[in-house]
Formats: sequence, structure tokens, C-alpha cells
Amino acid sequence: MSQHHTITALVQNEAGTINRLVSMFRRRGISLASFNAGDCEQDGYSRLTMVVDGDETLLHQTVRQLEKLIDVVEVEDLSQEHSLSRELALIRVDCEESQRTPVYNLVNEFYAKTPRSTPQSLFVEFAGATPEVERLLTALEPYSIGEIVRTGVVAMGTESNL
Amino acid sequence: MRSGARIVMEALVREGVDTIFGYPGGVVLPLYDEMLNWPQVKHILVRHEQGAAHMADGYARVTNGVGVCLATSGPGATNLVTGIANAMMDSIPLVAITGNVNSWAIGKDAFQETDIQGITIPITKHNYLVTNVDDLPGVLAEAFYLANTGRKGPVLVDIPKDVFIAKTDAPFPTVVARRGYTIPGAPPKSQIDEVIKLIAESERPVIIAGQGILASGSSDLLKELAEKAHIPVINSLLGLGNFPRTHELSLGMMGMHGEAAATMAVQEADLVMGVGIRFDDRLTGDTKTFAPKAKIVHFDLDPSEVGKTVSPIAWVVGDLKLALESLVPQVEPKRHDAWVSQVKNWQARYPLHVPEGKFLSRTVLRALNEHTQGTAIVATDVGQHQMWTAQFYKIQQPYNWISSGGLGTMGFGFPAAMGAKCARPDDEVWAVVGDGGFQMTLQELQTAVEYGINVKICLLNNGYLGMVRQWQELFYDNRYSHVAMGSPDYGKLADAYGVRFFRCSRTEDLEETLKEAREHKGPVLCEFVVEMEENVYPMVPAGTNNSNVIMDPELPKQTAGANK
Repeated sequence: MSQHHTITALVQNEAGTINRLVSMFRRRGISLASFNAGDCEQDGYSRLTMVVDGDETLLHQTVRQLEKLIDVVEVEDLSQEHSLSRELALIRVDCEESQRTPVYNLVNEFYAKTPRSTPQSLFVEFAGATPEVERLLTALEPYSIGEIVRTGVVAMGTESNL
Repeated sequence: MRSGARIVMEALVREGVDTIFGYPGGVVLPLYDEMLNWPQVKHILVRHEQGAAHMADGYARVTNGVGVCLATSGPGATNLVTGIANAMMDSIPLVAITGNVNSWAIGKDAFQETDIQGITIPITKHNYLVTNVDDLPGVLAEAFYLANTGRKGPVLVDIPKDVFIAKTDAPFPTVVARRGYTIPGAPPKSQIDEVIKLIAESERPVIIAGQGILASGSSDLLKELAEKAHIPVINSLLGLGNFPRTHELSLGMMGMHGEAAATMAVQEADLVMGVGIRFDDRLTGDTKTFAPKAKIVHFDLDPSEVGKTVSPIAWVVGDLKLALESLVPQVEPKRHDAWVSQVKNWQARYPLHVPEGKFLSRTVLRALNEHTQGTAIVATDVGQHQMWTAQFYKIQQPYNWISSGGLGTMGFGFPAAMGAKCARPDDEVWAVVGDGGFQMTLQELQTAVEYGINVKICLLNNGYLGMVRQWQELFYDNRYSHVAMGSPDYGKLADAYGVRFFRCSRTEDLEETLKEAREHKGPVLCEFVVEMEENVYPMVPAGTNNSNVIMDPELPKQTAGANK
């Protein structure tokens, strides 16, 4: 059964590391729903969060192929329950200041933020699990969304192996 | 303080590399200058960088060590690409060193700049762009280590010109270790126990032995296992040589053009042990109908191979040699006489066949095998002749068989044979090539002459791209599209290069030709002008059921008919 799988990887930062990872996905025809890279607690290393679409066999193959890459130190499959996953969305809502009350109501309901506003637009910032982000976006639809930027998912396991 | 160029030469010496294959150019000038100070490393100047990569590949295969090739930036580097991809597909340890433009010019589309690191990401085990000379000793040590450990493969090190010139005191590391990279060790005992049980329970077992046996140096253990548990041994194309082909339990190659008995044995077996193979599509045919009666066991050191194409019920993941060292003493000795004799019956019924009265590629290869008793190193190109050589040349020893299996690289055979001869100058080396593939890399004749690389070329000239022609005959209703191929006058060509030449077009002259070719001290080109339209059988069309082997229609009736 095809579904979203979240995988994290600790990788050594070298010239071409990200290229190498993305290349593996492309070459083996594994569809990436989201890919996120950032610094982590270890100097010289990054931790990546990737969401792939596919069945268990594909997930297994993806993990094995990632582990084979020399830059990759460890891979974790977070498809199980014990994980925390979030993404950040910035949404530009193009509506006049006079018509913003219902938007502010939604912002409050979702515990979102409005870091900036201009006479033409209100900028909404929201971090949450992907379904929450989707729900907010749907709720904002009637108020003329001008632009959406999403970070994609970052995730970590919550049951330590230690 | 010593220069980056000197560090490269130091690395080669430290790694025991006696021969490298390369081609100079602008940005590698500092390295070529330094090379003059290092006579212990022989440099073979090729005529095209693709030849250098294939030579390094052949060198690696017959030594079970690392081959090294060298090219300049831009076109020099891109010309290596086919050879690197070839080594990747066949898990051959290669270190490819390329020069690049000065580090400050990278990204500015400088003359002869190319992103060879980016280009080779999908076709290398790992690659590097070294922008700081302090990193160079560590990177080179790591490159050799990665290439030749675990699942072997090509590693590319791209070095900008200024890094060759820059100086450093940075030492070579005493130990190479890389976080997250572990060399697979012994497989868990539970996996071995499971296999012991499966072997004990089996009545119709087979082993399909691949290149992993060669890479791990386990040929003797394979023989012990086969003999102790009385299991027929089948080879993948690249596994040839890991088990003596004249052994009574040897069934030869299986798959698309494998021997019928080998392919049939797998379809009838109740236990299929894939040992150091990757169940590639040319071997399995349609995976849904592959080995339908068998429990499949997969031995591999690469966990990503397990379950990639077929679904085994048990696996042994780890170092193959350690796995077999643990398995062999524990396996119960047993006999499978009924099974082995059934398989032998198939062999007798469906033998490899050489029709008499015609001068065929098979006629030549059978004679070559008889002449050399299967003891020569043989490198093939790709196509019909490759399959016939796999069938008829009974390779006796490990590391004597060189063939482009995964990538199927035409033009590979001749330069690979040259690399093999450089590595093992005292052994007889034959390149078996077709007229198509030979014309892709024959410029290396000059290299062979210049360095006295004594390779014997068996050129099977049928005037066609034979394998493609065969498919057009069988699957495209005889519509031959661009497969008839002319050749130069090979006699004149050989003369022009100064290579000893023989042309043979009759069975009567075959013995004399082979005898003289073998006796000649120096490279020889033997052109065998063979029947134009000859097909490779047995055959399982691509992606179909291995149970439906198409036999040679010319197989005598009394042999093939015995099955009815």
C-alpha cells in the first residue's frame, strides 16, 4: 500500500553530499514528497528529513540505498508512531485591512502568528504537523491566498535508543 | 612540505600500484611532471581515456585489486565516464583520478572545465573534489580503502590544478576509518543455521555462484561446499571462473543465453542458493516465474541487494568468505545422486552445439578452448561472441574471466585484456571481440605495440552487429535495421599498426592460426571470417519465463528429441 514514509538521515557535510542523496532518489525512481536539510547537534554533520511515497518494499529499499551512501552515517525510519514531525508555512493573504477580522480569528484558533502586515497583505506564520497545516490552508482559502511557502517536514524520533 | 602531485605518486606507491593508465592534459601537467621522478609506477599512455578506464578495470579483475586510471579535466574526464559506469555496474574497484581547472576557476566555465564530480555521482561508489591540499593524503587513502572494501566499486578523485601544485606537510593517515562506513563482517549465526537446515531438508538444491565469490576470495570454499553437500554449481556471467568449469558439478552459466541444463535446474530445484549474485534480469528472466519450486536463499554482503529483484525466504548478509567459513564445516555431508543425474541427463540432452561443415564463431571458440585448455585469461567484448565465449570457453581458474556484465559495454574487451596483461604479464591473454565492438576501441592497438602488451585478439568478424541482428531476426520479422556493418581491411590495419596478423576463414586453417598466434611474441590480431548469420542458443527472450528455453533449432533430433 502506498503511503507517506518519513526518514531521517545524519550525513557528513562534504562537497556534493546533498546532490548525492537527491541523485539516488532520482536515479532509482523514488518519489520525494519533501526533503529538508539543516545543521544539527554535531559539527560537520547535517540531519535530513525526507518524506517518500511508496509501499513497504520501497521504503526498505530506500533506507538500504541511503545507508550505502558513504556520506550517510545513519538512517532512521520514523514511519512508526513514536516520532514528532512539524513543518512551517508562510502564507500571504491578500486582503484589505478592513476585511481581516475572520483571518485573525483563524490565526488565533490555530495559534498561528502574523509577523508582518502591509496595506495589501497579511503574512501568516504557522508551524505544525502537516495535517494541521493543510487544515489552516483550507480555512484560509476564501480570503485570497497570494503565496504559500512551506519548509517541508522536519521530524525526530521520540523514543530514544539510549 | 611536498606538493599535491607528489602526494598522488606517494599514494600510488603506498597502495602498491605498479601500473596506471592515463592521458595527460593541461591541468594534470604538474602531476605528469612529478611522475618522471617515480619510475616504480609505470604509466601506460592510452589513445583514448575510455581505454584507460577499461584497462584499469581489466587490471583490477585479474588481480582482485584496485585499478587506477588518470585523465585531465573536461573531455579527458568525461571520456572516462563509460569505463567508470562499467566498473560500477560490475562492482570493480577502480580509483579514477581526474584533474580539474584551478580551484578558483571552478564554476566559471573555464576552459576544459566540467563538473565531473556531479556527472559521476550516480556511477561511483563515492567521489571527491579536493580543494585543499591538506585533505589530499586522507582523501587518496580513503579512496583506495572505499574502492576495495565492502561492496567494491569505482571511486573518483577530482583534483584542481592548483592543488597539485600547493604544498603541505599533512601526513597520510595510519588508519582509514570513516564514520558510518563499516565493512560487513560475519553474518549472524542464526542466518547460517537456517541455511544449514534448508540444505539438510533439500532434495534438489543448486548454487548460483557469482562474482561475490571472486571478490571475497572464496572459490575454494565454494568448491568445498558443493562437494560436501553434493550441490550442482551454476554461474552467473561474472561468476565464471569461481568454480572449475570441468568439475562434474559445474553446470556453467544460466539465464538468457545460459546452458539449458543450468537454467532448467534452477526452475526445477527445491533450493536455490544465490551466492554473491544480484539476481539480475538476464539471469532470472521474469522474476514471477523464476525458480517456482524453490526456496531462495540469498548470500550478499550488500543488504540493499536482498529482496531487490526476487524475494528470498532466507538470507545471509555479511562477508561471503566469513559466511562460507562458518557454513562449510557445519553442513552435513550428503548426496543428491538422483538430482545430479537428472541434471546430467539434461546436459546430455541439450548440449551446447556446434554444427559441423560451417565456419562459425562457435567453431573458433571451441578450438580456442581446446588449444588453451581453458587456462588463458579471456576478456570479451559484448554481444553474441560474449555469450558464446561464456558457453564454450571453459574457464578453469578464478580471476581469468573478464566480461562487461552489468553495463554491456561494447569496446570493453580489447582494452580490458590489455589491462589484464599489464597486471599478469606471464599469463596468456586473449581478447575475444566482434567486428562491432572492436571498431570502438581499436586505436589502442598502438598502445599495445608501443608497450609490447602481448595480447592475442580473436576477432570474430561476421559483418553484423550480431546480437542486435539476431533480435531483429527473431522479434522484428527479419527487418534488419542498421546492423550490417563494414570493416576496414584488418590485414592492412594490422600492418599499419605493426601488429602480427592472421586471417582465417576455414576450419582447416584454424589449428595453424591459433598455434602461430600463440607462439608469436607480441600482440596478434586474428581475424576469423565467420558465418554471417549465426544465432546464440539456448535463449530465453528478455523478461520471459526461464522454463521456456528456446533450444538451438540445429540441435540434432536424436539429442533434443530424447526429451519427448
